[in-house]
Amino acid sequence: MKYKAVKIGLTSLVLAMTFGGLLYTTMAEGTEYYKHVDEVMAQPDAWYGKKLQLHGFVVPDSIMKRKNTLDYQFQVQSNGHIVNATYTGVVPDTFKSDSEVVLKGVLSADGFTTQPNGVMAKCPSKYEAKTAGATAPSVKY
Amino acid sequence: MASLGALLLLIAFVTAAYAVAASVAGARRRNTRLIESGVGAFYTVAALMTVASGIIIYAFIAGDYSIRYVQRYSDSVQPVFYKITSYWGGLDGSVMFWVFLLSCFGSVAVKVNRDRHRELIPYVVAVIASVEMFFLFLMIIHNNPFATYLTESPTDGRGLNPLLQNFYMAIHPPTMYLGFVGLTIPYAFGMAALITGHLDDSWLRAVRRWTMFSWFFLSLGLTLGMIWAYEELGWGGYWGWDPVENAGMLPWFTATAFLHSVMVQERRGMLRVWNVSLVIITFLLTIVGTFLTRSGVVQSIHAFGEDPQLARYFAAFMIFTITFSFGWVIYRLPLLKARHELDSWLSKEAAFLANNWVLLFSAVFVLFATMFPTITEAINGERLTVGPPFFNRWMVPIGLILLVLTGTGPLLAWRKSTIMNLKDQFLWPTLAGLVVGGIVIAMGVRVWGSGLCFAFSAYVMGTLTQEFIRGANVRRGMTGTDLLTAMIGLVSRNKRRYGGYIVHVGMVLIFLGFAGEGFSRDQQLLLKPGEEAKVGDYTLHLDAIRVTDDGQKQMVTGHITVTDKHGAVLEVMKPAKWYFRKHEEEPTSEVAIRRSFSEDLYVVMPAFEIEEQTASVEVHINPLVNWVWFGFGVLAVGTGIALLPEAALGFAVAGLPAGAVTATMLLLSLLLPTGIAFAQHVETGQDPRLEKVTSPEAREVAHKLACWCGGCSKLPVGQCSCGHCAIERAKIDVMLKDGKSESEILKFYVDTFGGNQILSEPPNSGSGRVVWLMPVVVGLGGFMIAAFLAVRWSSRRASVAGMPAGMEDPEMAARLNDELRDLD
Repeated sequence: MKYKAVKIGLTSLVLAMTFGGLLYTTMAEGTEYYKHVDEVMAQPDAWYGKKLQLHGFVVPDSIMKRKNTLDYQFQVQSNGHIVNATYTGVVPDTFKSDSEVVLKGVLSADGFTTQPNGVMAKCPSKYEAKTAGATAPSVKY
Repeated sequence: MASLGALLLLIAFVTAAYAVAASVAGARRRNTRLIESGVGAFYTVAALMTVASGIIIYAFIAGDYSIRYVQRYSDSVQPVFYKITSYWGGLDGSVMFWVFLLSCFGSVAVKVNRDRHRELIPYVVAVIASVEMFFLFLMIIHNNPFATYLTESPTDGRGLNPLLQNFYMAIHPPTMYLGFVGLTIPYAFGMAALITGHLDDSWLRAVRRWTMFSWFFLSLGLTLGMIWAYEELGWGGYWGWDPVENAGMLPWFTATAFLHSVMVQERRGMLRVWNVSLVIITFLLTIVGTFLTRSGVVQSIHAFGEDPQLARYFAAFMIFTITFSFGWVIYRLPLLKARHELDSWLSKEAAFLANNWVLLFSAVFVLFATMFPTITEAINGERLTVGPPFFNRWMVPIGLILLVLTGTGPLLAWRKSTIMNLKDQFLWPTLAGLVVGGIVIAMGVRVWGSGLCFAFSAYVMGTLTQEFIRGANVRRGMTGTDLLTAMIGLVSRNKRRYGGYIVHVGMVLIFLGFAGEGFSRDQQLLLKPGEEAKVGDYTLHLDAIRVTDDGQKQMVTGHITVTDKHGAVLEVMKPAKWYFRKHEEEPTSEVAIRRSFSEDLYVVMPAFEIEEQTASVEVHINPLVNWVWFGFGVLAVGTGIALLPEAALGFAVAGLPAGAVTATMLLLSLLLPTGIAFAQHVETGQDPRLEKVTSPEAREVAHKLACWCGGCSKLPVGQCSCGHCAIERAKIDVMLKDGKSESEILKFYVDTFGGNQILSEPPNSGSGRVVWLMPVVVGLGGFMIAAFLAVRWSSRRASVAGMPAGMEDPEMAARLNDELRDLD
């Protein structure tokens, strides 16, 4: 019985270590920082070259598109910090002035370069927006 | 109406509490009367919830916009069908719908099993009723769907988003809920078995079918979600590892594991702790899934809003459930000893065990990766995320291992396979796999994941074909009929086994669809009318961009002629952009799909410039996608067959004709293709002004103030559309930018207006706290009273001392005698 317990213990240990190791190595390539624009732009040079998911709101009327191309240039802000972003490709329907977006890409001194398919605009959801949920009405009969 | 609904919820809560107390007490005192009354109360909850659901649906149809929930999720121009589905459209209603389904399912399960599993029933009732109590509690104190506007109510609703007014979106949530809620039943039976100590395999028999039934709906729900994403969202894929998708996937993994390991316990009496743990884990994962989508713990593109308070309630409930459930498992460990040990690794048991580990690992991995941002934020304050590539890197190999196991399990014998029978069994399937593998390499397929998947699929299909043919041959020898008849006879004789094999065929087809993704291609084009471009073997020629109007919406349509490599015209595809009236700001992209069994040509026109006559067109070529949907159809048929023996709705309604379930399942799978015809947007009105508020922080503060303009029945300032509120919101924004904190701003308003009436909710301090505490105290009080009564009533058992337990009731005694005789 004791022998069996040792065997099971050792097997699980080896398996756990293998998976842990694999997880760690794959994780290193797979992870991206999820940041708000103001967090990053408070100290932009610290973030140069790192893989980022940047959360913010599109500055109204900042979206510009080069004619006959799919090149976009726009600004994203949160809490007053603004970053210039570029993107080439097709943008989602919900990408427009003031919409809440998450951009995947890399920051450099020239601004934020969004990777292909890296623009995610929040789904216009039937689910409640943040504020509506937070102030759910108190019970009234 | 609204107050009646709210009252019904309260009564339901009290009734559920009584059901818990009465059945626990009844079981402990062996008092059948008390148990009966508990069961009666349990049925009553279902009745009350049905009436409450009727009321909310009526409110939606009648357009009672004094109810906030109705006002928020529907409007007068919405078609009746979508008015009804709005019931589960938002958070509050979805919780109520959940309780409604749970109470109905629970009642059916109890009704059917009352005689067969008499000793378990009181605890089954108690467990299910406790879960109902939790959700009712949430509704009553936090998310009341019947909450109304205090004074004047708006005259029309805000409407459901047009993207979600879609056939699949209407039926996807309820099928998911059916799956989720159904999994509470096995949990209740498992807990009842643990509490009573009746840990023979009879509880397993009671729950196997429920699990299969719920599993089917979970699979259906996931598939519908995928179809919706594929046809509506226009990004060319169907699965993105979004937290909400993952939440639906988690219990699917463990339920699948349970369906397999249950066989090992039935045949060999092993894995008993494991099975009961799987049932508990599956239930917990359904709660985790609900929690993830509703609490805002993880960032998701389409989760319900953030709600820390709800998160705390859920966390408390989960901690309690984990402690309670696993506490019982540990306490009953001595009774859960396995009857046998694993004899050999070359056995069916071992294959099932491996299958279980892989499935459980998948669940743990997906949960970990989904929670990863939250975990890292908790540990070092940095929010790190992992994306689909990370998921794929892990889940592709895991999926392939599962696929191999699918083909291996049926070939191995129980206990131990001999070398002889290995040779005999594995020859043909392995050959099939190798041949296909060889062809794949010869054809120069270099996508290793997909190549392996094809080879493994061939191996599994080899196994399954061999099983069918060998079985049919044996039967033909016995009955002397032809092979086909023998095969049909085989399936109908052994529905569970062969139904299961058919489910596996479906899974193989689904995997083929996944493998096709390895060869998908996409390209973004910019075309002017008359120009053309080559994508793969197709040539796309833009004929024109046309603007039309059907009164409801303006449609900008690209007319694209697609020709194959020989120049023959295949089809004129018409991707479009629709601008609904009142929704011009939010155009929808209409996807054009040319379907075939080998590949889909998927064309979207996300943008165009009408003056220049240019269209940007996104083209996806998705090989084998349709096999995913087709595979699901096969899976549905297989599940139907496996469920058949004791007829109808799992093991439930006994009298129904045997064909009913298959017919239902088939009808359901037939709904999928017909759904395409309905997958269209329907216009609604949503007041765009409501969306135009300043920064999100200002919006949050503004929501804590009630508008005092007099025309809007004190809507929160963040919501009211009067000009006055717009100015106040701007002011708040400025104050925030000046560095004022939220409480300072609120204090400023309270001081200016001389009192708390300006706040839309009571302040969370001093006397205001009483208002916040009240519902919690009332709710917890309910639980306490239920627990107290349970203890009190069961302790009266001492007063009938001297009489053997359970003997006070002659009916009970007679039944006990019968059962004892059966055991002999």
